[in-house]
Amino acid sequence: MKKLNIFPFQNRPTLLLFVFAVSLLTRQLAAQEGKKIVKLHYVNSNNRVQYLLLECVLKKGKVLTPISNQSYKIYLDSAGTNLISNLTTDETGKAKAFIPPSLKAVWDASSQHTFIVMSDDEEVISDFVITKAKITLDTSGADGVRNLTASVMKMENNKWIPAADVEMKVGVQRLGGILSAGEEDNYTTDSSGTLIVEFKRDKLPGDQKGNLLLVAKVEDNELFGSLIAEKKALWGVATKVDTAFFDQRTLWSTRFRTPYWLLFMAYSIIFGVWGTLIYLIRQVIKIKKLGA
Amino acid sequence: MKNNNNIPRRDFLFTGLLTAALGGCNDKKNPFAQDEVVLTGEKVKLLSVDGEVIEIDKAFLKPIPDVPHLTNAEEREGIPGKKFVMVIDLARCKNLRKCQSACNHMHQVHPGQNWIKVLGMEDADHTAPYWQPTTCMHCDEPPCVKVCPVDATFKRQDGIVLIDNERCIGCRFCMAACPYSARVFNWEETLMASQGGSEEHHHHNSGPTSVAHQVKGTVGKCDFCPEMTRQGELPHCVSACPNGVFMFGDLNEDTVTNGAETFRFSELIKDKAGYRLMEDLGTKPSVYYLPPVNRNFPYESGLEKETGDEK
Amino acid sequence: MSNLSTLTNGRRSAEQITGDLVPQPFGKRGMIWVSVLIVLCLIGAFAYFRQLQEGLVVTGMRDYVSWGIYISNFVFFVAISLVGSLITAIFRLANVEWSTPLTRIAEIIAVSAITFASLIIIVDMGRPERLYNLLLHGRLQSPITWDVIVITTYFFISLLLLYLPLLPDLKILNGQKTKNLPWQNKIYTFLGSFWKGSEEQFKISEKAISILCIMIIPVAFCIHTVTSWLFATTYRPGWDSTNFGAYFISGAFLVGSGGVIVAMYVFRKYYHLEKYITELHFEKMGRIAVMLSLIYLYFNVNEYLVPAFKMKKSEAAHLEELFTGEFSLMFWFAILVGMIIPIFVMLFKAGRKPFPMFIVGMMIVVGAWFKRYLIVTPTLLHPFLPMQNVPDNYMHYFPTWEEWAITIGSLAGALLIITFFVRIFPIIPIHETITEQHEKAEHISVSK
Ligand code: SF4
Ligand code: SF4
Ligand code: SF4
Repeated sequence: MKKLNIFPFQNRPTLLLFVFAVSLLTRQLAAQEGKKIVKLHYVNSNNRVQYLLLECVLKKGKVLTPISNQSYKIYLDSAGTNLISNLTTDETGKAKAFIPPSLKAVWDASSQHTFIVMSDDEEVISDFVITKAKITLDTSGADGVRNLTASVMKMENNKWIPAADVEMKVGVQRLGGILSAGEEDNYTTDSSGTLIVEFKRDKLPGDQKGNLLLVAKVEDNELFGSLIAEKKALWGVATKVDTAFFDQRTLWSTRFRTPYWLLFMAYSIIFGVWGTLIYLIRQVIKIKKLGA
Repeated sequence: MKNNNNIPRRDFLFTGLLTAALGGCNDKKNPFAQDEVVLTGEKVKLLSVDGEVIEIDKAFLKPIPDVPHLTNAEEREGIPGKKFVMVIDLARCKNLRKCQSACNHMHQVHPGQNWIKVLGMEDADHTAPYWQPTTCMHCDEPPCVKVCPVDATFKRQDGIVLIDNERCIGCRFCMAACPYSARVFNWEETLMASQGGSEEHHHHNSGPTSVAHQVKGTVGKCDFCPEMTRQGELPHCVSACPNGVFMFGDLNEDTVTNGAETFRFSELIKDKAGYRLMEDLGTKPSVYYLPPVNRNFPYESGLEKETGDEK
Repeated sequence: MSNLSTLTNGRRSAEQITGDLVPQPFGKRGMIWVSVLIVLCLIGAFAYFRQLQEGLVVTGMRDYVSWGIYISNFVFFVAISLVGSLITAIFRLANVEWSTPLTRIAEIIAVSAITFASLIIIVDMGRPERLYNLLLHGRLQSPITWDVIVITTYFFISLLLLYLPLLPDLKILNGQKTKNLPWQNKIYTFLGSFWKGSEEQFKISEKAISILCIMIIPVAFCIHTVTSWLFATTYRPGWDSTNFGAYFISGAFLVGSGGVIVAMYVFRKYYHLEKYITELHFEKMGRIAVMLSLIYLYFNVNEYLVPAFKMKKSEAAHLEELFTGEFSLMFWFAILVGMIIPIFVMLFKAGRKPFPMFIVGMMIVVGAWFKRYLIVTPTLLHPFLPMQNVPDNYMHYFPTWEEWAITIGSLAGALLIITFFVRIFPIIPIHETITEQHEKAEHISVSK
């Protein structure tokens, strides 16, 4: 019993040391436990703009947290010479790079390229290989049947040839996603590198004229990265910007849209009562004058 | 920045060379959602797939191009022509609470508080329990907005119910009025402020933030991530859920998506018998639920989280 | 002994009456009382300072119980302030003569209570420095706005109703300048030197008072109805009731009359006003209080029995908590001590004697305070969706010392206002008492 009482006092320094050591250890463990993951995406949009998107997250257990302010260098084909860009990740742990015109010769020289990501002098990613590819999207309509035709071409030996077995989404671009045009979620190109999807989304709301933005999108393909083709078509229902609901004078509207009945009631009561009050105050003043 | 001259309206997006350039700059970009991008006026040269040299505005060098900073009045109006909805599929939820941690992290919600809760529900003694993620319902006839004396909480035309933390007087009437207990209060110094950022202008994201951020002595709640939707992105909880429980979208587009799958809203609600909470109160929520039938996970699989987390 | 002769208490002369009723210095006990109140106020102020520094985190309130003891205290203050209109206006309009000595007591209770009602609501705000937003961005749809408007209005009406009948007394006080302390004279001169007591002045003042008396009744009903709407306009079980306005008003009348009874007893005892506040007054107030208790009881039965009969799911948890659960002790205390026992005591003639009435008055006031607590807190602990995903302390509520200190400080503050008021002004209208005596004297001599 006695010993137990004294224990904390006697051993305080040791205890502190112990606590310190433990906290140091756990911290290091935590740091080790968390794994930094760097991912690279290649995106080709409408066969014109291409860019690289780098993502950096910390994986701790099952939790992923984006890491900001991480610096990387991206090279084309050979590390150290063909610098594409110096990147620093933003709050979402992402960074983006375009291929600069200075690398035109290197880019044109081959139909396949390797992108190398380096952090300081360490190669973080070295096996990210992309084959040049193109995607097209066409629409055709006859007898009430509307079709979307998408095709993918890849470059091999400096020639464009059809790319078969490429999986993609074909549909309408919506907030945060693509609403598939047909019944399937994904479609695959045939040996001619082409696929045809019947557009089955009747009466889909479009923009104010009824336009829909159709897209064909290959997402993170092993060979080609992401490919996107977009096309506008007048296949939707025209929708008007309708603010009637929002413009109502209701109890939940702003103070600029107070219901008339409430305004009327409130103001008639306020003016009635305060009118009388002001009258009474004037009476008091009158009394005062009488006495002066 | 001379924003005014440099903001292209969406209508220009499909004309000329810029069309392709813009179209390619944000793969998740939805031209219907992202009206405006702040252009810097500076151009960068880049190589196209064909090896051509093309020019593009420097703004697109960012993973997500900046959208213009909005005035308080503009932010209060919301995005014209939008009407955001969320569909929560109860059959897919196993109480992982990834939505919660993502939301808490991105909004720096005070420890212990949550803008999104995953409630273990059991409606009656012999009915089956289920997990119910619960956000603010963004009611179309919001009782919380009705009672606010200073317009500090308000309904935008895109359906979002927001809080102006620079105006809120902290009377907490809205908390009493909300039947869904969606609101939390910043009882003490907020995380943002205590971590050194100034309460006034700090926000987790570079988006327009003149309204939504947290201030001591004012209320907070799920805000449907307006800075994300303005950029055409999905709210954090939606993208964080590995089971695809949350589907978010625009009612005017009749589409909801969880990122991986995209559904036509009206069909989804019809096929799966979607419903809203406490319909009898007349609050007209913007959040729909799909009943917990043909579940992906048994209820019990979520209990683990429950005991570990409540402490 | 007929009632009338009790009232006229042996026809004292005007000088005697004035001598009896002019404000007295505190004396030793008075000084102790005032110092205690000031200390309590200071503790409250310190607690509020802490709250301003740390934020509302110093309170026991959390996301579920987002309104606590401050709001129940606010409701209590609003309730007790209603009494001003009861005694002054309703009795005056009904030509109840015996109420004359009580009018000023009632009015000063009203004014001090309403003052602290508005202060406590500011204390409850998370951002009190943004109060001006109510003017800049005020929204007419919100019941809070209505409450702010109506409380301000009531405050001004009460103030006028306190001031106008005071004018003739000020003349009397001004007439004995040598007996007053210099600072008193300054106040009297400032407030009432212009009152000459001319017929014309009386005419205007009488008319103004009549208008005020008529006006204050609807306004008083409004303040408490609107206050009840702060709760009744929500969906919460226990608040979502169409009965709430009437329920609150009847409760307010009861606690107000309880407050007046207590004040009557204290003033009578301390300032030896037995000749003015007579046993008859207690007798009459007792009868009124019984009636008010019965009315309040009636509304309580309405308020609890009807939902308890149906036991809707949302209401059931709330009601069970009140009847048999965590709050049952407080609930039955408030019902028994605040209503039932007072009714039984006051039904007997012996119970309507001053001392028992004083005890009963205290019981009513204390019971009413706890009743307000019960109206606010238990409801918030029974939201529609289960309380989950929150820290443990979010699921309970008990006020912290800061909340108690501020609440007690506010109650002390209200008492302090009343105390200072009696120190400066006659608590029983001197002029009216004299005139009434004369009229009665004439009346009696004529009838003889
Ligand atoms: S759920 Fe609550 S906070 Fe959200 S809009 Fe509806 S009432 Fe307001
Ligand atoms: S707490 Fe703020 S947002 Fe809520 S009602 Fe009061 S002022 Fe409005
Ligand atoms: S929509 Fe945004 S604010 Fe609401 S719960 Fe999801 S992440 Fe949080």
